[in-house]
Amino acid sequence: MKGENRLRISVSGIRGRVPEALNVEIASRFSSAFSSYIEEGKIAVCRDFRCSSHMLEMAVISSVVACGIDCVDFGQLPTPFLQFLMREEGFSGGIAVSAGHNPLPWNAVILLNEGGNYLEPGEGSEVFNIYEAGDFKKASWKNLGSVEKGIFPVESYLRDISRLVNIERIRGAGFKVVADPCNSVASVFLGAFGDFFGLDLISINDDPEKPFPHPPDPSSENASQVEAVVKGTNADLGFLLNSDGSRISFVSERGEALNEEFTLPLCLISLKDRINKAVTTVATSGLADCAAEMAGVKLIRTRVGQSAVVHMMEAEKAEAGGEGSGSFVLSSFSSGYDSMLSLALVLDLLSREHKSLSEIASPFPKFFMKKVKIESSPVEMYKSMDKLEEVYSKENPDFTDGIRIERKGVWFIIRPSSTEFILRLIIEGENEELVRSVEEEVKERMQL
Amino acid sequence: MRISDLKISISGIRGIVGKSLTPQLVIKFSEAFSTYIGGGKIAVATDTRPSAEMVKYAVFSGILSCGASPLDLGVLPIPSLQIYTKEKELEGSISITASHNPVEWNALKLIKKGGFFLSPYEAEELLDFYYQGKFRRVQKPEKIEKDLEAFTIHEEKILRFTDKELIKKRRPKVVIDPCGGAASPYVKNFLEKLGAEVFCINCKLKDGFPRNPEPLPENLLALSEAVKNYGADIGFAQDADADRLAAVDEKGNPVGEEYTLAIAVDYFLKRKEKTPVVVNLSTSRVVEDIAQRAGVKIFRSKVGEINVSRSMQKNGAKIGGEGNGGIIVSDIHRCRDSFSGMALLLEYLAWSGKKFSEIRAGFPDYFMIKEKIVVSFREGKRIVSKLGQKFRSGNVNTSDGLKVEYPEFWFHVRPSNTEPVVRIIVEGKSENLAREVLADIMGEIR
Repeated sequence: MKGENRLRISVSGIRGRVPEALNVEIASRFSSAFSSYIEEGKIAVCRDFRCSSHMLEMAVISSVVACGIDCVDFGQLPTPFLQFLMREEGFSGGIAVSAGHNPLPWNAVILLNEGGNYLEPGEGSEVFNIYEAGDFKKASWKNLGSVEKGIFPVESYLRDISRLVNIERIRGAGFKVVADPCNSVASVFLGAFGDFFGLDLISINDDPEKPFPHPPDPSSENASQVEAVVKGTNADLGFLLNSDGSRISFVSERGEALNEEFTLPLCLISLKDRINKAVTTVATSGLADCAAEMAGVKLIRTRVGQSAVVHMMEAEKAEAGGEGSGSFVLSSFSSGYDSMLSLALVLDLLSREHKSLSEIASPFPKFFMKKVKIESSPVEMYKSMDKLEEVYSKENPDFTDGIRIERKGVWFIIRPSSTEFILRLIIEGENEELVRSVEEEVKERMQL
Repeated sequence: MRISDLKISISGIRGIVGKSLTPQLVIKFSEAFSTYIGGGKIAVATDTRPSAEMVKYAVFSGILSCGASPLDLGVLPIPSLQIYTKEKELEGSISITASHNPVEWNALKLIKKGGFFLSPYEAEELLDFYYQGKFRRVQKPEKIEKDLEAFTIHEEKILRFTDKELIKKRRPKVVIDPCGGAASPYVKNFLEKLGAEVFCINCKLKDGFPRNPEPLPENLLALSEAVKNYGADIGFAQDADADRLAAVDEKGNPVGEEYTLAIAVDYFLKRKEKTPVVVNLSTSRVVEDIAQRAGVKIFRSKVGEINVSRSMQKNGAKIGGEGNGGIIVSDIHRCRDSFSGMALLLEYLAWSGKKFSEIRAGFPDYFMIKEKIVVSFREGKRIVSKLGQKFRSGNVNTSDGLKVEYPEFWFHVRPSNTEPVVRIIVEGKSENLAREVLADIMGEIR
């Protein structure tokens, strides 16, 4: 079997290409396992706009109610919105059908525990044990769960965001903003958001009925449309989202994409003097350290992924967290990475400092970062990691997640992706040359 | 011997919710059907069981998974779904109903192009897909559509077929008991359009079905009472998917499903059209008397709607059915249809000017006993061959189990293909005779 057709299993759930790896039967069994684990209460369900999402969501709902658990179906909704509302209402679990940044044939079934958190590794393996044993709870006809339609509480969401920023100041600034929600499920909510913040909002790629205009990943190489529109309309700001509305990256008033690594730093300096600790990962840019210093925040690094970051925040009582993928979470607001929260914080920052985005970005050092995907297969992936561990053993490697090596003027990390069958190599250095030489070196040593 | 309550057979998949009928099985079965159908629209209707929603979500996801597009018809009687499938030229449909089975059961019944159940070979092909798990799963599923007006097509056909003016003149008082099933949302209105004054009992579910859904005389006590209390001319009872019908006369006496069919056949032959008649091997002999009086041929088919329906087509029969109250009027559709049955019986009342008990009294009396014994599949076969030996002096038919006829009585012994059960039906000219014959058969089996 080709690697790309295999199901990818992680703490956050299962994901894979539809229908080769992920199909309705697997989604159903997985939901039965999760519902059996949850045992009682009600489960919130939502989906993104991918063409396979409705089908998978129906398999999910059927399986949840068959376990005797009530199901509230929020339909098409960004995953962070589900995480937000789960905190307020008494849900014992959540299931989101959305593959975030993965390309189109992919989809995923994401599990959330009480409060909208990703599962902890122990919880995740318990679900998989039930899944493998096929030991599902079966409710009799009298005790089947009910299905109810849920409505996302837009008002309380906006109200909670407004408490974190100076809403009058933002409204007064009257920003002109270009949005690229990537035809995602977030598209339909942007209007309400724009009105609430008094934005002059120019949206592109905002028709969820249409396919993704570019890969649903807010990295710089997907930003060319937003860059052009920002220039053409003299906008103050541009941004682009991934497909479930959890990640965001920004484009400056000059029409230049700040890469997605900038999202966390911008949020941190926006919250200057208001938070003490923040968590990020070992794969995130050194820009985060600079921002933490400017904002007077202690930065803690952990493994890659939303689950690891959020659970480390809990353990360390950190108020904020985020990753270089354009993600940011604030514990007082929600348990999930939320692009609209990041946008609000950046708008707040711009209006507070009376500066343009490029001016705010200018004090940051000019690091050069390269993110390389090395195609691999399920078996090769782990063999390569073994080899590299040996090769770099003398350089005092950090094994928090994968292998991270720090040298003068450059650092890099290589790790197997938990969502795809690739090795992710991230290199950041003071100049392009240093970064290139590391890339060549790692690729060469993998072949040894 | 361990017996699963899950039944996967040519009629579909049936099981108990919370035990054997899981969403995973329903999804797989729907994927097999969607693969078998090969795309296009598949209409989906349910009865009113509380588990309908759970099953429906699973069916929809299975249909979508293999490239077809589900057409949601909501709660709908199974004959209406069959007619809809035919009229809209759909490739197939799924009815989510366990018919006359108690509320803890549910099932998928599969309907093919033309609005008929699958033939045994077609069902075998489908089951191959199911067991092999080789589904034509697609990357881009279709969308779900909805049509909540599907009953009108069925209703309009019957209204055109029925002499409404005649019924309106008599304006019979009718009590209807749909058992809170799939007919509930429609049947009162339907009977009013036919020209009756209608009282409805058991129109809703309350903590499950308000009575056992099978329209046997012993389940119709409430209906009998209501007929007497309202001073009604007739009472009708349907099962949960509304294919079967049983009538109660104005005195509150159930005429039984066998006679309900017989009376409908009699009227059809008298007033609609003289055509051959087809009933299954287990159906009462009274239908033979009726055909004889009318001077038309009668054919017996194997048990099962699809068998009766195919024999009707082959033999040019426009009326027929099964003795369990499954009346088939081919001008409406070759399927068991309680609505067509009610239309014929109301017309009969109006046309004859008689009371329903008087109409019933015009037919010879037969006494029928239906028994069911649980034995292994192998034992079932042994019983059939043993009884065949003992009763070889009679007129023997082995096309579906064993049927033996004598001038004064007959019996039909039929091992089920899906359950370790043998069904025994005995009919005689008197109750004593029928009981004696049954005792004889049971003695032989032991």
